[in-house]
Amino acid sequence: MQALIEKIGRSVGGVVGTLFQAGRDAVDLCLKTIIPFMAFVTFVIGLILETGVGDAIANGIKGFASSLGGLMIVCIICAIPVLSPLLGPGAVIAQIVGVLIGTEIGRGNIDVSMALPALFAINPQVGCDFVPVGLALGEAEPETVTVGVPAVLTSRMITGPISVVVGYLFALGL
Amino acid sequence: MDALVAGAEAFIQVFRTAADVFVGFTTGIIPIVVVFLTAVNALVKFIGEDRVEGFAKWASQEGAIYMPVRYTLLPFVAVFMLTNPVCYTFGTFLPEKHKPAFYDSAVSFVHPITGIFPHANGGELFVWLGIAAGVEIVAPDMVTALAVRYLLAGLVVILIRGIVTDIIYNIMTSRRAGVE
Repeated sequence: MQALIEKIGRSVGGVVGTLFQAGRDAVDLCLKTIIPFMAFVTFVIGLILETGVGDAIANGIKGFASSLGGLMIVCIICAIPVLSPLLGPGAVIAQIVGVLIGTEIGRGNIDVSMALPALFAINPQVGCDFVPVGLALGEAEPETVTVGVPAVLTSRMITGPISVVVGYLFALGL
Repeated sequence: MDALVAGAEAFIQVFRTAADVFVGFTTGIIPIVVVFLTAVNALVKFIGEDRVEGFAKWASQEGAIYMPVRYTLLPFVAVFMLTNPVCYTFGTFLPEKHKPAFYDSAVSFVHPITGIFPHANGGELFVWLGIAAGVEIVAPDMVTALAVRYLLAGLVVILIRGIVTDIIYNIMTSRRAGVE
């Protein structure tokens, strides 16, 4: 009997402990990454909405982001192998451009149907800065890294525009 | 004097608007992310590393038949369970020649997944959230549908990326071998 009680007590304790730790990790991530970035992003949104900067950016972005062809051009530029590793780190560029385009969608300047292709168009450079590290995490040989880096960067030139088309097709009928 | 006041007013208005948006994000995004993160973190711990690794070994086998598994299901599980950037360690289970394609595939999934599973890449939520916030204003009922489509389109894209990168990597290695 005592053994049973002990067993139940232990396993319940284990479950609660895991859940509590999970909650702690979640709040930790929120406080240390999500909220700081949110503060930065909302400031940018405030600037866009309240100053003339917004209209200037809007005119620039609108031309590109309101047609499939324009998004393709953005995507191809972001995927150029020399540029893509520079645009990649922390996805900061993609996030800022995402906020800019999102704000313009919110103001009605860009059609909602462009949201999905835009999500891919602003992001062909994802992880291009991280290829050697990512491969190292997968315990790749040095030779694999030597060939793998240009292979991934070159591949993005092809798959970037394809991803925009895929996004466009998936947005049909939304 | 009036001009000065007007200037100050315009200046402070930027921050008032920003603060309003911040409050909107805080009440709209943070609670659901925290609760969701907690649930998934716990789930990942309960499932345990062993089982996930067993799956990874199965999914990373060589051969064309395993291609859809290798470049859709495997990256999905890797990013969902291990999150960015630990997910790339799944490359360990793959044959050497497929590692670059797997990396390409997995890293391309860290944003499409955030529409529905924000825990997977908590530090880079605003690629999705930035655009979703705009859609939320114009068509609030479309946001979830968009998130689902973003996820599905992401799966298609990472499959294509995996296959294309595999081909390019093969061409590059054989060229290198030819030169040496």
